[in-house]
Amino acid sequence: MGDKAADKKDVWQGTLALMVLKTLQAMGPQHGYGIARRIEQTSGDLLAVNYGTLYPALLKLEQEGYISSEWGVSDNNRKAKYYKLTRAGRKQLNKEEREWEQTTAILARFLAPGEESS
Amino acid sequence: MRRLRAWFSRLSALLGKEARERELSAEMDSHLQLHIEDNLRAGMTLAQARREAIMKLGGVEQAKENYRERRGLPFLETLFQDLRYGLRMLAKNPGFTATAVLTLALGIGVNTAIFSIVNAVILRPLPYKDSSRMVTFNVKTAMFPAFNLQPTWPAFQAIRTQASSVEQAVASWETDRTLTGTGQPAVLDVAGVSDSFFESLGAHPAFGRLLADQDQNSSQDHVAVLSAALWRSRFASSPSAIGKKLILDNQVYTVVGVAAEGFAYPVRAEVWVPIPLSSEIAQNPTFFSVNVLAKLRKGASLESLQAELAVISQQLEQELEKQKPNLKGGYKLTAETLLDSRVQDSRKGYLVLWAAATLVLLIACANLTSLLLARGLARHREMAMRAALGASPRRLRRQVLVESCSLAMLGGWAGVSVAAAGIQVFRAVAPPDTARLNEVSMDWTLLWFALGCSLLSGLLAGLAPARRAARLSPNELFKQGTGAGGANPSRFGSALVAIEVALAFILLTGSTLMTQTLANLLYQNPGFRTDHLLTFDLPQPPNWNEKEADTRAESQIARLQQIIADVGRLPGVEDLAASNLGVLNGIYFSHAGIKLEGVPAEKAEISEGIVSRYLSPGYFRMLGVPLRRGREFEGSDTRPANRVAIVNEAMAQKYWGTLDVVGKRISISTDAKGNPEWNEIVGVSANVRDLNIQEEPRPEYFLALFQWGVFSHHLVVRTRTNPDALTDTISRQIWASFPDQPLTHVMTMTRTIADTVGDQRMHAALLAVFAFLGLSVALLGVYGVVSYSVARRTQEIGVRMALGAVRGDVLRMILQQGLTLVSLGAGIGTVGAFGATRVLASELYGVTPTDPRSFLAVIILMLIIGCIACWFPARRAMQVDPLVALRYE
Repeated sequence: MGDKAADKKDVWQGTLALMVLKTLQAMGPQHGYGIARRIEQTSGDLLAVNYGTLYPALLKLEQEGYISSEWGVSDNNRKAKYYKLTRAGRKQLNKEEREWEQTTAILARFLAPGEESS
Repeated sequence: MRRLRAWFSRLSALLGKEARERELSAEMDSHLQLHIEDNLRAGMTLAQARREAIMKLGGVEQAKENYRERRGLPFLETLFQDLRYGLRMLAKNPGFTATAVLTLALGIGVNTAIFSIVNAVILRPLPYKDSSRMVTFNVKTAMFPAFNLQPTWPAFQAIRTQASSVEQAVASWETDRTLTGTGQPAVLDVAGVSDSFFESLGAHPAFGRLLADQDQNSSQDHVAVLSAALWRSRFASSPSAIGKKLILDNQVYTVVGVAAEGFAYPVRAEVWVPIPLSSEIAQNPTFFSVNVLAKLRKGASLESLQAELAVISQQLEQELEKQKPNLKGGYKLTAETLLDSRVQDSRKGYLVLWAAATLVLLIACANLTSLLLARGLARHREMAMRAALGASPRRLRRQVLVESCSLAMLGGWAGVSVAAAGIQVFRAVAPPDTARLNEVSMDWTLLWFALGCSLLSGLLAGLAPARRAARLSPNELFKQGTGAGGANPSRFGSALVAIEVALAFILLTGSTLMTQTLANLLYQNPGFRTDHLLTFDLPQPPNWNEKEADTRAESQIARLQQIIADVGRLPGVEDLAASNLGVLNGIYFSHAGIKLEGVPAEKAEISEGIVSRYLSPGYFRMLGVPLRRGREFEGSDTRPANRVAIVNEAMAQKYWGTLDVVGKRISISTDAKGNPEWNEIVGVSANVRDLNIQEEPRPEYFLALFQWGVFSHHLVVRTRTNPDALTDTISRQIWASFPDQPLTHVMTMTRTIADTVGDQRMHAALLAVFAFLGLSVALLGVYGVVSYSVARRTQEIGVRMALGAVRGDVLRMILQQGLTLVSLGAGIGTVGAFGATRVLASELYGVTPTDPRSFLAVIILMLIIGCIACWFPARRAMQVDPLVALRYE
């Protein structure tokens, strides 16, 4: 496992965390399976998420205090561990959303056909 | 911040593992259930649903493992695993563990002890407030080029007023003064001090008051402050001490207060008195004996002070030339920090000691490395198995390092007691005037240092074994047999042990040489009978007044003669005599302008200093020194009759070239008109080593004590029995007639001789300790290597015995291996010692650095102890049962 793979893993985990936060904001409190399913749907099934990588990401977000968890009961009367956004999580989500928008805007100027001849 | 929160969470996850595991399992189960239900609803069969769910999860165990890695701190957890495993392994091999721990305990212990001493003496600042800013002053002048002098009082004034780098300065002048009038007469260390002395030092009285500025000016009522110790010993800490009168050198002082307990500046002062500015001392520009202590201003540096002092020096030099034009010479006033002035000389010695201790520690580490390597060979199958099961080289390396560090920590823990013992030993053997000896003690820095030392040693010792473990490949598993014998014994390990033995050899040789030196010095015949001798000084009050010199001399001599008669009558006293100064203390008087009669012209006037002594009649007889020519001083040699002299053999030979000099004359003084006053030589005495034991006797001449006034008297008493027992009796006898005569420096000759070798004794003792340690460690190393070699060669030994080898053969084989190692080490050590002992050359006496007898003795000792070290493993080898051994695959 070389450095490049590790970098990719970090970037992927960062993106995954953002997707989780956004999902929780949109759906409200949800269990791990539900979040994974929703992420797949939202990405238009373009992402093949390995559900197993979701749980460490959820744990990290919980350790950092952006989400909190508690055991509850699902629709079908199954016990499941539900996660929800904390206030800090909300703030972090807004911050990251803004940053993403900025990044994409700047990149767009570079990548779009511009006035300068290329 | 968030990351910190995450870290804490992971740390706390190390506890309560079981509960968290259950929760994790529950969550995984719940996830799968939900997924399976969804799949079922989508139309899959149960089996398909399950499979798809598990595949999407990426494997349950894998998912759990990823989760676990994120949850806890995997590094720490595996470290704990390694630690538990390592400790279990150590417990299973008590012999190995004990050897290693012992070795390290010695090495770490001695290193910690030395560090503690070095810390207390050299590194730690002095225990005074703001001590880093305190400086003292030195003077060098061409007038007395050989001496390091202190400033004069006028110099002190100049420093105080002109050096702007200096915030405060105090001056003191320590001298011995005779105390009479209360209880036993004694000699006290009295410090005359400048104004604002106590204020500047921030001192508070324990009782009464301290010296104040008004005390500087009064001319009739002299006041004094006592030290806490003196108050206790002389006045029983009674308040009535205030107001009492002390008579110091026939001058009356009134006690006004007591200094606080622990106030010790100057260090040995017992009484403080003010020095008025009008007094002679304060005015004298050539009285280079004033101790000046100053505090640098905050922000001022030593360099800025030195620059200011250069200017002041010039000024003082000019003033001096004006006042005493015949005294010429550069005047250089410099400053150094207080710490430097106290420890500068001993710094090098301590650092050498530390180097030696580090050497012992390195030997111990080498020992541990070789032990670990030897053991590593026995465990390489186990390591290979772990590698096959997926342990990374880093993990294998870590396992070995954890083991070596655990051993080191255990060793360090034991080493703390060794260190404590070492500090006690040092305090016992160090000469009493060692700087800051009282500050050497055990404290927490000891423990921290031992901890750090242990960790470093463990890491260092484990490096080579760890590297070897990491290089193991699983192929090793398939190699048959663990030991076809010593085909590739741990060569590196054996080489290390050989080097250890060599180093120990060097230490041992050095120690032997030093011990011999000490013995030689102690048994050196100084030329007189040293048994049953009690000596003490009878200090005489100083005489500043030249006019009274003659009358004082007469009363002095009368007193001395009376004392000799009184003491001579005591039953325990066999014989006694007097001189002006004791022997073997390295101090002597000499006169300037000595002239000799009857010698070739170029030798007639002597410019060098020749040792001189003043002796009473019967001195040589009492000491058992024979006379080569002529006679001793007799009772008839008194003033104002012809003054007589005696010379020793060395002087007679050197200047007259013959021993027949009786009748020749020697002059040490001139009369009012400048003509030499002659003393007739009446005898020639045998040579005596009376300055110090090591030196050859020098030329000496002797004058009759009863014909001159001198600064001090010294009594030498030959007792019939134990000299110490007679001290009280003699003191009482003297005080019966002369209650104001103090007696000081009461010593027996044996103790005086022992004191002169104080330094050599300390070196010999410390070197012996190191040698013993080094030897123990090295031989433990030999034992370890041979032990493990035997363990690995069990099969080979079994084969040999099955093939007909007798026990004796096996014994010989093992001993051969061990002794080869020891001999190799001794060989290297001999070569090394040849070079290393040259360092000691200047300290040796009576032995050369390459003394063959010492080397031989050390070689034989090492071989014998090497045999002993090999004996245990050899015995184990002999007890190998061939059947059992061959059964091991």
